[in-house]
Amino acid sequence: MKSMLNKLQGVISNAYVLIVLMLAMAVAAPFSDAGTVQMWCFAAINVLLAQSVNLLTGIAGQISLGHAGFFAIGAYTSAIAMTNWGVPLPLAVAFSSLMGTAVGYLLSIPAGRVREFYLAMMSLAFGLIVYELLREWRGVTGGVMGMRGIPSAQIGTLELFGIELGTVEYFWGLLFAVLVVMWMLRNFVKSHFGRAFYAVHVSELSAGSLGISQGATKRFAYALSGCIAGLAGGFYAFLVGYLTPESFTMMRSVEILVMTIVGGLGSLVGPVLGAVLFTYLPQKLQAFNDYQYIVYGLVLLLTFTLLPKGLAGLFNVHTRFSKRDQLKLTTDANAALTMRTPAFDPLLRVEDVVMEFSGLRALAGVSLELRRGSVMALVGPNGSGKSTLVNVISGIYAPTHGKIYFQGRNISGLPSHVIAQAGVSRTFQDPRNVPAFTVRENVLMGANRLYRHNALSAAVNAKWAKVEESRELARVEALLGAAGLSDSGDKVIGDLPYGTQRLAEVARALASDPELLLLDEPAAGLSEAEAEQLVGLIRLAQRHGVAVIVIDHHMDFLAGLVDEVVVFEAGEEIYRGDMDGMRTDPAVIEAYLGAEETENA
Amino acid sequence: MTKTKTLTAISFVAALFSTTTVLAEDTIKIGMTSALTGPYNEFGEGNRRAVELAVEQWNAQGGINGREIEVAELLDDQLNPDRAVQNMRRILDNEEIVGIIGPAGSGPTLAVMDMVEADGRPYMNPIAQTPVITYPDGTTGENPRGNIFSFALQNDVEAVAMGQYLADNFERVGVIHESTAYGVTGADQLAASLDKNGADEPVAVYSYNQGAQDMTAQVARLKRDNVDVISAIGLGTDLAVLRRTMARLAVDVPLLASNGALGQPYQEGAGDLTVGTLGTMIGAFSKPMREATADFAQAYKDKYGTDRWWGNDPQSPQLFMAISVSNAYDAANILFEGIRRAESTEPEAIINGIESILDYEGVNAVYSFSEGRHHGIDPDSIKVFEYVKQGSNMHLEPVTE
Amino acid sequence: MDFFIQMLASGLSVGAVYALVGLGLNLTFWTTRVLNFGQGAVLMVGAMVTAVLIASGTHVIFAVAVALLTAAFILILIEALAVRPLAKATGSMGWIVSTLGAGILLQGLASWRFGTQAVAFPDVLFSSADTVQFLGAYISVQYIAVFVISVLIVVLMELFLRRSTWGYAVRAVAHDNEFAALLGIPVRRVVLASFMVSGLLAGVAGILVSQVSGTVDPGFGMHLLILAFVATVVGGMGSAFGSLVGGLLLGVLEKLVGGYWSPAAAEIVAFILLVGVLTIRPQGLFGKPEAVKV
Repeated sequence: MKSMLNKLQGVISNAYVLIVLMLAMAVAAPFSDAGTVQMWCFAAINVLLAQSVNLLTGIAGQISLGHAGFFAIGAYTSAIAMTNWGVPLPLAVAFSSLMGTAVGYLLSIPAGRVREFYLAMMSLAFGLIVYELLREWRGVTGGVMGMRGIPSAQIGTLELFGIELGTVEYFWGLLFAVLVVMWMLRNFVKSHFGRAFYAVHVSELSAGSLGISQGATKRFAYALSGCIAGLAGGFYAFLVGYLTPESFTMMRSVEILVMTIVGGLGSLVGPVLGAVLFTYLPQKLQAFNDYQYIVYGLVLLLTFTLLPKGLAGLFNVHTRFSKRDQLKLTTDANAALTMRTPAFDPLLRVEDVVMEFSGLRALAGVSLELRRGSVMALVGPNGSGKSTLVNVISGIYAPTHGKIYFQGRNISGLPSHVIAQAGVSRTFQDPRNVPAFTVRENVLMGANRLYRHNALSAAVNAKWAKVEESRELARVEALLGAAGLSDSGDKVIGDLPYGTQRLAEVARALASDPELLLLDEPAAGLSEAEAEQLVGLIRLAQRHGVAVIVIDHHMDFLAGLVDEVVVFEAGEEIYRGDMDGMRTDPAVIEAYLGAEETENA
Repeated sequence: MTKTKTLTAISFVAALFSTTTVLAEDTIKIGMTSALTGPYNEFGEGNRRAVELAVEQWNAQGGINGREIEVAELLDDQLNPDRAVQNMRRILDNEEIVGIIGPAGSGPTLAVMDMVEADGRPYMNPIAQTPVITYPDGTTGENPRGNIFSFALQNDVEAVAMGQYLADNFERVGVIHESTAYGVTGADQLAASLDKNGADEPVAVYSYNQGAQDMTAQVARLKRDNVDVISAIGLGTDLAVLRRTMARLAVDVPLLASNGALGQPYQEGAGDLTVGTLGTMIGAFSKPMREATADFAQAYKDKYGTDRWWGNDPQSPQLFMAISVSNAYDAANILFEGIRRAESTEPEAIINGIESILDYEGVNAVYSFSEGRHHGIDPDSIKVFEYVKQGSNMHLEPVTE
Repeated sequence: MDFFIQMLASGLSVGAVYALVGLGLNLTFWTTRVLNFGQGAVLMVGAMVTAVLIASGTHVIFAVAVALLTAAFILILIEALAVRPLAKATGSMGWIVSTLGAGILLQGLASWRFGTQAVAFPDVLFSSADTVQFLGAYISVQYIAVFVISVLIVVLMELFLRRSTWGYAVRAVAHDNEFAALLGIPVRRVVLASFMVSGLLAGVAGILVSQVSGTVDPGFGMHLLILAFVATVVGGMGSAFGSLVGGLLLGVLEKLVGGYWSPAAAEIVAFILLVGVLTIRPQGLFGKPEAVKV
């Protein structure tokens, strides 16, 4: 019954309504006047632009105040390709999106080095540089006089293989491109690539711990966004037939951003609504022109406070970030983790690691070894270096001295995503989930390192992509069961109690099928029942041969779970052994237990 | 809940797509797109007032051959090329429209030119000064676009007057122009005209961006190049910045400005420094005015009063009216006269009607058109003026002839 | 030589204004980690109000005072509407968009109220015809006045921030506002004061620039904001001294490129400098790199 309802919702979800609407427009085009169809073309181009900003800003979280730059590059590229070199229409348009991709990739290199408002200013500067180049590079762009005589659909000078293309035929082509782009975007966003974009958006630190390279992800996001904006530009050139730098000013970038934000960042339907609204508003409402700046200003000023999800939020549209609704799932509860054969060599070997922060020694020569299937606890007062050690092992800090071997390979100083890719998963002291994702999507994000299919397969839903997605979804289902979260799978995690979020984060770490699991105070804030679930999860990992390091203060929780305890004091190991020995060790009692035990008692 | 929302969304979208235009029958309909709002509405709004005045006057006389004139589409493009294209499409889609009055600048006009030519209905260009708009081959007076008539002071035409004056009076000409279609063609045409008048080419040509707040680099370079006159092609606000920068660097060679700059914004921005500035301008509103010009001035004052476009002297209108208001008035009148002569609203008939016009007493000039001649303003309509101070008012006094 | 001095003088003059605007940006950045993308429009409001009031017969001093107070008040509004509501949200996207919106809104309001045309700005500070001669070069007294006023304000602000109790409070809030609150510093008041002063600085800068250009229009300011931002980034976010050096460097570089190479190329100098500095040394000349927080 419930799955029936889900299916029904899938069918009438607004994305489909939009597609039907678009098809209706395709049918209606030959019977409408040229001006109407032309406006549809402008709307379609704006949809592409808004989707391009949405991908970069809404999904990958990289703000762009210079998108008109990509748009311009696309437009001039296709215009030059056709008028100067006689390249046929489809190739010219493809060429512009290629150019957009290349420029996006190039821009991502300096942009990848900066964040936040630096990035915003950088994108602003990019847009302005392109604008100035269009004006000054007269030989190529025609300068401020613009480029005239570009074949154009609306005056009947555009041809494809000798057949004249009018506005209606052009609209069909454009609509087809929009549909394909949106279909591919939808599949892409619901794949592990989309989840990786979102992970970088929410927290670059936590993305790294999931094996997601923030640099590569950003470069990819810029390139794709540039590709779509370039495509929009390619179509624009042959729609208007005349290009001038004045069409690509900063206000154009702002306009594109407004469309996307009003439509709803992060959703796929939202930008369509925003683009259509802001294509027609100035046309239908001449009074809008008088107050255009006031309207844009108010929209930008207040949207994030009043309507953070835009129109899409108003219409209750949610974009989901997994292909669960598209796939038939096979559940196999045993598949949660791979069974590893115990080995005699240590999985992790930390050798004399020193970590200094501007002269302060957080770790003063720590060494330890860990085998598959064993659980080690790190104990010590605040600031004794436990979390620092976990951060060094997981690659967030590069150690000042010393070496860390994982599976015999020296991983000290490698970036965190490389270490995570190798099979080291971790949780953070405060959970770093993606608040807008459901519990299932969050856990599924953990599996990121296991995916092998490429972006194109993801975008066209190739068989390979489906198989992998189904496999991981099945594993996630099993993990949710093990964590006692089966009922909350479809709930948005940000709305759930703290304990649930913590458990989900541990399940997420396990979803990567790790060799080594690092848990930083996982039991803090958990209820007794939740702590039980947590112990169950750690045992599950242990049974499958995963090595576990857990930092915690709760002795009751650790007792019976851990094989070995290491106690830290001021960055140095003061005790190593079993739990019972620790309770009687004089050094430990002095440094730590004295205070801590009475507190917990 | 979701369903109602979806329905609202659909009906909302449907409302956006529908076109509702109810028009009265058997009027003669014209369409216009211009910069009615935004930073450039100095020209666009002036044009709108002029066209409405012309329509009112014709209708008061019983319309054209008994049919009333109606401005069926009056659209705002804010000088934005995309908006102009959309507006023009909307105008062209209205099959009942028989004549069009175009945007208030070269950028948007260039953007709509090809579609207007392909459509074939008569189009009046009131302001855009770039010659290729009317004469795509670039030579004024040869092979005009069939349906396009220009009432603008074309760059090349202005350059003839400017070049002549410069060649007669100066040796080392420095040119500074705004980096727009208007400024760039203007500078090119001026160089050509200097050449034609037997003068040396300009010693230096520099550009600036609209809205620049300081032009030290350009002016200091002109000074270093030792020019004996600076010829500027741009708009009033920027010219004021130029004039102030000249004062700051103690550059006291004469400044000769193009017509676009000689208005209120320049006078206000440059203050007392305005005195002595030279400029080329359509001479229509300088005294003594021709009868047609005086009649227009009176009619305008009666309808709109002494507004921003009239200028700050209640007694006589500013010269600037010739390029911000009366150009469109002439454009509309010539269009209506063409329709009257054609006794038809067929495009070809109207165009033939306009091409048959000879010695029509317009406000800015006496107009004659023919198959090869589609522009209205000739160099002899243009004079060089100088700002002089009379009491507290700035005036433009003719310098030549 | 006189050509070079002329370029240098005008470069220093505009550069000092960049530094002044940059200092305003820095002030609010210190206390809230927010960069006001609407600051350009505040410059415009400062100049516009002054020009309109003087034109309607108000005394210069009164007009300037009203304009500066308006600018300060606007920044308080920006703090209340565009910054504080979004303080909880993670990341900077929210306030970038909302402050940008505030700027565009101000621009729209100014067009609606005063028209979209440029408004003449009267000679408040000498006249553009006043010049002094130095080593054969004519230097405008207005340039000198703009330079002196801007540099004076920047230096005084820097001293104030280093020496006074308020300056100490600002630095404490900049360092860690929770910790500052524990020390008994009225964080809220420090934040509001920083926005107010930032508004005052923007107002002064707006008036100074309009004095040089002679007109002010609603679109005025955005370009200056970007240049001031570039100056601040070059000097290093969070350093008043850095803003000053960055501003002067950018101003002089622009004029030299314009003077010796091409005025058109001068337009791109700032952007290239920005992309270059962000790529090679994101913390700027005098800034400290930000540490990763786990």
